[in-house]
Amino acid sequence: MSEIDRRSFLKRAGGVGLGGIAAGYGLGAATTANASESEAEMAGRVNAAELADRRDFDGVHQAGILTPAASFATFLALDSICGGRAELMGALQTISSRARELTRGGAFPVEEYDAPPADSGTLGPVIAPDGLTVTIAFGASLFDGRYGLAARKPAHLTAMSAFPHDDLDPARTGGDVLLQIAAGHQDTVAHAVRELARPVRAELAPRWTMAGAVGAQRGPSPHSSRRNHFGFRDGTSDPDVTDPKVMDRLVWAERGGAEPAWTADGTYQVVRTIRMHVEFWDRVGLHEQEEMIGRKRDTGAPLGGTGEFENPRFDLDPRGERIALDAHIRLANPREPATIDQRILRRAWNYSQGLDPAGQLDVGLLFVAFNQNIQRQFTAIQERLNNEPMIDYVTPEGGGYFFAPAAARHPSDWVGSPLFA
Amino acid sequence: MVAIAIAAATLAALLAGCGSSSPEPVARSIRTIGAHPDITVEEVTGGHLSVQQEAAIAMERTKNPGPGGDLQPLHAEDFVKPVAEYRRYSEREAKAVQRHVESLQGDIAAGDVGAAKRDWLDAYDHYLRLGAAYGALGTLDEQIDGNSGRLPDGVHDPDFTGLHRIEMGLWTGEPTAGLRSPAAYLARRVAHLQVAVRRIAISPLTYATRAHEILEDAQRDMLSGVDAPWSGAGLRATVDSLAATEFVVRTLKPLLNGRGSTVEPVENELARFRAVVDSVRREHGGAWPALGALTQCQRERVDGSLGALLQRLDDVPGALEVKRTKPYPTIAEQRRERQ
Repeated sequence: MSEIDRRSFLKRAGGVGLGGIAAGYGLGAATTANASESEAEMAGRVNAAELADRRDFDGVHQAGILTPAASFATFLALDSICGGRAELMGALQTISSRARELTRGGAFPVEEYDAPPADSGTLGPVIAPDGLTVTIAFGASLFDGRYGLAARKPAHLTAMSAFPHDDLDPARTGGDVLLQIAAGHQDTVAHAVRELARPVRAELAPRWTMAGAVGAQRGPSPHSSRRNHFGFRDGTSDPDVTDPKVMDRLVWAERGGAEPAWTADGTYQVVRTIRMHVEFWDRVGLHEQEEMIGRKRDTGAPLGGTGEFENPRFDLDPRGERIALDAHIRLANPREPATIDQRILRRAWNYSQGLDPAGQLDVGLLFVAFNQNIQRQFTAIQERLNNEPMIDYVTPEGGGYFFAPAAARHPSDWVGSPLFA
Repeated sequence: MVAIAIAAATLAALLAGCGSSSPEPVARSIRTIGAHPDITVEEVTGGHLSVQQEAAIAMERTKNPGPGGDLQPLHAEDFVKPVAEYRRYSEREAKAVQRHVESLQGDIAAGDVGAAKRDWLDAYDHYLRLGAAYGALGTLDEQIDGNSGRLPDGVHDPDFTGLHRIEMGLWTGEPTAGLRSPAAYLARRVAHLQVAVRRIAISPLTYATRAHEILEDAQRDMLSGVDAPWSGAGLRATVDSLAATEFVVRTLKPLLNGRGSTVEPVENELARFRAVVDSVRREHGGAWPALGALTQCQRERVDGSLGALLQRLDDVPGALEVKRTKPYPTIAEQRRERQ
């Protein structure tokens, strides 16, 4: 291909980002190359069972919120470098369009043999859905003066400010747009991150990214919560996501009142990257570890109880003889009538990212809370936790507050469209 | 350049060695199991006990403490003398902080950045040597030694003040005129330090825990470069924390003697870490190098020997308990109690 041909191809490909609804690469449509077609068919048969799980991108609520935490997740925070509102809308349309294709899966077209391929190919010629979800959310900074959105900011959205024991790195905090990309395998997630960033390079600049994983299901029951880097089970007392009444009360944005109408069916997403000082933790006696958490490390049962999901019965223990009054589970969820509305829907992935400058493992928790009102829920809980004994062993280093709006309603809609309507 | 590298490598090999320069293991380590510092078992590697055998011994000791098993709890009065000694020590350190901060204020007023940096480092040294107290100083500690990361607007936050505000200014070439007001504020806060140190309530548990945790904080916040990012004084600061730890352990030694085999391994590791940091200092011509100036080999020796020391210091609070760990009631028992 001559230099001119190459440029004209790039121009076509680059135009995709602004093309609006038809912006996709036509994934799932018939491929052209004959050799790869049979390979594609074979690949489809081999991975069918393990990777076939498919989560709809379109609907009422975005996928990846009530969905049980997938094995792997990457968060990609992006800053808008768009010059204007139309450009931003185009970029968001493109993100939705690409996300829809990737979550659906299929073969991708090979257009010109000399040109850079339309897909990185890291998943082979057929992209299996693998339970992929792409959850799109907006940070408070998107609602500044740049795009005329200031008046439409969700009522409870602010920038995440530091709590007393935080050590926030501004370069790993905040962002205009957040993508939570989760799937059953690490390569599916990594592929999606790369393919979602590619068509919007001129509009959305990556600000920070973090990747995490949940531990394998090691029982004893299929519902047992997975463990974090401290060896304790994480997420035991989550509210029931199958009960729409509970979700309407705790997760989905309030209707009316101070909330702008476009926020309907959306939710606030809190992300915190919490460094865990595991070498230090490993020098703590088991008794003290369990006292700090309020649970047994092996079973996850509340202290003095037998099963993970047993009620810790703080009411029977008002002086903290069984579970210390400053134990993590007691402060996080006191289970009193006054704190019922403070509960959050919690998701967590463990991260590992090498060593810190002092040669210590840089590992921690990618903590996510979905809630109806950040101040009423997440912040209220966090303020109780400010001085918990466990705080010596963790350092929150980044994250942000975001608003994840309703899902795209149909394949020609896009996430965030009501904000611009 | 090559000659320097070779000399450094030779010294390193003499003391501890790094990477391929030291194929031989330094020493066979002895391991303590769980909360029973009196049980030491030779490392399985090269030893004669399997992991299962070690675990079985530890379990047996847990079930039947007996003579030589679990330790009798100490009395709170046993800690009166060590804490009083520590209090006198920390008052001396507080006074030194005040003296250096006054000089710092003068240097800044005179626009002498070189002298200001020296006095800043001295003030910081003595503040960190308070060690055992700083967790108990609360707001005063934040005003003197607070970092920007906990503040909403970071280094631009109006509440970012104290030692690290001045550190930022001195090491980033800010005009000294802008540092006069932070220096005056710091001097006013530091003036309260001596009285605050004298009044701190220190429980036996807190004091024993400090023997371990002063250096845990140093590893987390200082050797990582988080606490003094502009001056790069993380190694020097860690050595101050070592000095504080050495003092606390010295005061606790009479209590530790005869309580399992805690003292000797702790003293050995303290001495080893001291020797490592001293050799690193010599390799840098006798001055404390900034964190960024350490070679990978030096960093690994410092990190590794501190890690080994921390694993030993961890035994100190356990050996000095003033009460037995009480079993907590079960939910069923509390339910019955209610009825």
